[in-house]
Amino acid sequence: MASDSRTGADTASSAAPSTFQWPREYSFPPFFTIQPNKTTRHTQFVKWSALVQSYCAHHRIFKLRVSAAAPASLPGLPNPTGAGGTSEAATTVAAAAANADGGAGDNIAEPAVELFANRRVKRRLFPDDAREVVDYMHRHGAAEWIDETGGGQKDLAWIWWHTPEQWAAMIEDWVDDTAQKGAVLTLYEIAEGEGTRGTELHDLDRDVLHRALKILVNRGKAQIFGSGDSQGVKFF
Amino acid sequence: MLPQNPSADIVAYASRAILDLKIQRDKLHQYQKRITILTNRETEIAKQMLAQGDKKRALLALRRKKYQESLLTKTDAQLEQLEKLTSSVEFALIQKDVVFGLQQGTKVLQEIHQEMGGIEHVEKLMGDTADAIAYQKEVSDMLGNRITADDEDEVEAELAALEAQASGVSVPDNLPNVPNTNLPVQVPEREQQQGASKQPERQAMLAS
Repeated sequence: MASDSRTGADTASSAAPSTFQWPREYSFPPFFTIQPNKTTRHTQFVKWSALVQSYCAHHRIFKLRVSAAAPASLPGLPNPTGAGGTSEAATTVAAAAANADGGAGDNIAEPAVELFANRRVKRRLFPDDAREVVDYMHRHGAAEWIDETGGGQKDLAWIWWHTPEQWAAMIEDWVDDTAQKGAVLTLYEIAEGEGTRGTELHDLDRDVLHRALKILVNRGKAQIFGSGDSQGVKFF
Repeated sequence: MLPQNPSADIVAYASRAILDLKIQRDKLHQYQKRITILTNRETEIAKQMLAQGDKKRALLALRRKKYQESLLTKTDAQLEQLEKLTSSVEFALIQKDVVFGLQQGTKVLQEIHQEMGGIEHVEKLMGDTADAIAYQKEVSDMLGNRITADDEDEVEAELAALEAQASGVSVPDNLPNVPNTNLPVQVPEREQQQGASKQPERQAMLAS
């Protein structure tokens, strides 16, 4: 987990079928309103950061699209001033709901609408506030904007519930534990093979895997060879 | 022994070959996943068709499922072949490393033998060593005899002390000093009697 504090958040389990344990503050209505007091706001951001990380870890969400997780309009919940129930927002919500129901698609914000919206207390984090939370996480190393250089509004971010360095360490440990130093491995078998089933490496996002392997390459612990989709890695 | 560079090339070439084999294996795995998904969907379709009373379409779905399962069986066999070949290549690399290790070990051993100077040198060295040991033993024996004699006295003295302790005799601390004067000469009884008879004669002569 990233260095950010996880006060109040339950430890996320890597077992997907288990139920995610929401922290106590998730049921506290003011938690969904950015606080004016500086100290309180900082504590709030720390808790939101921990919640986002543990939620994404539980559901193995590597990339979070803020506009999908915190859409401009949600039926039955408060909306930002001036935001209407546009068809585009409804489509986004429907797509998110479809993903939450197990619909096809990648793992970008699949079940994440509930992350920023608690229907039981009829509160939600507005899109700009959610973006501010992720921006806080970005500044503290718990997230990284993907589309920051695009010039537009930041929307898609890596959520580092494990940093690339931590993933790299896990890969190295797995290679050691399975006595595969010197062996040639494909990226597929690391991320989706039977050898990693039951470990956190299984179903690892391919881009995250690449970043972790590059770290190992820079340390002289691994060598990537091949090109395109036919890449392999050898560990030393 | 293979030169270093050709060996490295062989390793690189083998690594690439293993990678290609494993990638094909992965592709087969992915294909099997797709087939499994399709098979499950055909089963669901068949159930739905039966629920709707369309037995013909249900049968068609099951036939497609059967065909896909046959494809799955074929890919299993192909996958097995790929994995066997991959394992064989990997093991061949290990064998190559073993042979290389043996070669290196043999070379080092031969170099060590050369540094030792050969069997003649070792034999001469062993002879010299034996001679030196014998000489040392002779010297030790000579010195040991004299030292042993001295030590024997000490050992006997110590034994006497131990025997005294064992018998329970306690020696008092304040013993008188040993006298330095000569012992009186002790005259035998015969001489003492002769001396006594001479005394009356002297007395009779004096009386006369």
